[in-house]
Amino acid sequence: MSTINLISTSYTWEQFTPTFVLVGLALLILIADAFLPRFNKKVFPILGALISTGLACFTAGSSASSLFSTLACAATAVCLLMAYDYRKLVYASVAGGEHEDGAAEFTALPLLACAGVCALIRSRDLIMLFVALETVTLASYAMAGYFRRNQGSVEAGVKYLILGAVSTGLLVMGAAWFFGTTGSFRGDPRFVLAALCNPHLSAGILVSMGLLLAGIFFKAGAVPMHTWIPDVYQGAPTPVSAFLAVVSKLAGFVALLIILLPFVYLRTTVNDMMQGLIVLLAVVAAATLLVGNLGAIPQQNTKRLLGYSSIGQAGFILVFFVTLQPTIISPVFNYLLAYGIATLMAFFALATLRMQRGSEDISAFRGLGKSNPRTAFMITVSFASLAGVPLTAGFLAKLSSFQALVSTLIRPHHVVHWLLPIMIICAASGFYYYFKVLRAMYWDQPQQNDAPVTFSPLCTAVLTAGTLLLIVLGVIPLLF
Amino acid sequence: MTPLSHYLIFSALLFSIGLGGAIMRRNVLVVLMGLELMLTAANVSLVAFSRAQGLEGVPVYDAQVLALFVMAIAAAEVAVGLALIVAMFRARRGVESTSLTSLKD
Repeated sequence: MSTINLISTSYTWEQFTPTFVLVGLALLILIADAFLPRFNKKVFPILGALISTGLACFTAGSSASSLFSTLACAATAVCLLMAYDYRKLVYASVAGGEHEDGAAEFTALPLLACAGVCALIRSRDLIMLFVALETVTLASYAMAGYFRRNQGSVEAGVKYLILGAVSTGLLVMGAAWFFGTTGSFRGDPRFVLAALCNPHLSAGILVSMGLLLAGIFFKAGAVPMHTWIPDVYQGAPTPVSAFLAVVSKLAGFVALLIILLPFVYLRTTVNDMMQGLIVLLAVVAAATLLVGNLGAIPQQNTKRLLGYSSIGQAGFILVFFVTLQPTIISPVFNYLLAYGIATLMAFFALATLRMQRGSEDISAFRGLGKSNPRTAFMITVSFASLAGVPLTAGFLAKLSSFQALVSTLIRPHHVVHWLLPIMIICAASGFYYYFKVLRAMYWDQPQQNDAPVTFSPLCTAVLTAGTLLLIVLGVIPLLF
Repeated sequence: MTPLSHYLIFSALLFSIGLGGAIMRRNVLVVLMGLELMLTAANVSLVAFSRAQGLEGVPVYDAQVLALFVMAIAAAEVAVGLALIVAMFRARRGVESTSLTSLKD
């Protein structure tokens, strides 16, 4: 896998084909919704899912950018399928369930956000990065608050908006200072080095990096900018939570890769400053690991649990960044892939339970082991992969995170040896809180009036595909 | 000519006022104003830096392009934000951020 080339900053129209197609499709869907009242609105999410799957195949390739685009488009397609499965609640949220209104916007917004992610992956300067990131964020605000009659959803939307806009402000200010100190919005290592070595400018570039990192940590869900995650995931409609957990998180980490790339080139030159950056990233990774994994332990609501889980998993991804090696792109992608598949499966099963049992608590999984043994097995695989049980993709992903850290420890001047015990504690606590769901499925007795849950064929198909992928990637280490 | 540092100090002050407002005020509408102030402060910095980086009176237009984008995005953010605040007012009869307590551990 080639590294992201940062020095060449010329853009070509072809690079942005997925963005144009997605934006065009979203606009077409909105126009069709407005001007073709008899058009069957159920088709919109299916159409969106088909086109984004097509784009995922179209962009597939061996370069880092195309891999990330493929993952983003495929995850968007799964979220749209989930929205299709969830359509009764979507209609109910808009018109009290009488009309089939609201399906078009609920399809168009994820497509627009995915267009932003595809543009972000191709961005090589801060202007493009900022605009693409904001495209994702603005669409996400509207999606999180989409159920406007639901107190939780509106509250999630407002909280996300306020905290997200603060991080936008930090990001723009950081970009301004980056421009002021290096004279360009491109992260050209030569300019960055020149600024770092100039005693008048080095403080300015440190300020700018601090602001930029704070803005991007928000998207990636790293401490101290993580506070929105549990609330927003809990309040937002389930397909939106899944979208935020996978696609928006991917956007955050791609942005982090792009921002840190000049420092990857410079890691051997300005030693003191690089040590400082490494320690900063290590502290953030450790805090993210601890907050995510220890915060998840007392949770009873599955969406909140998955929110804390996504913070914890982000901590394991941040460990790759602590090494500041040019080779981190492929393990970061692999980790996001394993995490994304398992998370999407968990949210998909949860959406069905929410519709049929009316609850998103862990107890909603009760008795599935007896009533739906096959689906229960597939949910087991997804949570086992999140926890990192051997023979699933999640195990190899966590293993590569440990390997990355250990490989830095054998080098001289290592400063982050204290991170290893924290990772071990956090990986172990994952087994406790993910297995609460499995305990509910296999050991809790079903209640008297529980009807067996019927999983739609679509849900079963997605869960089966995800299970196969997780096991194949876990048994045959194609990627890791 | 006003030196660069004056613009930067002004911008930093504006940014702090905006950030303070966004963090400390309870009314969500006022919080939104604070957020706009932060973006405006960043725009002041961008335009000042664009002049300072230029040669012979010709600014580097990259930063001014970003300032234009920031204005557009700030407008979009207000549009989405006001829609959410209207929805919040309908659901709760108030726009106080202290009433946002239905989602918690």
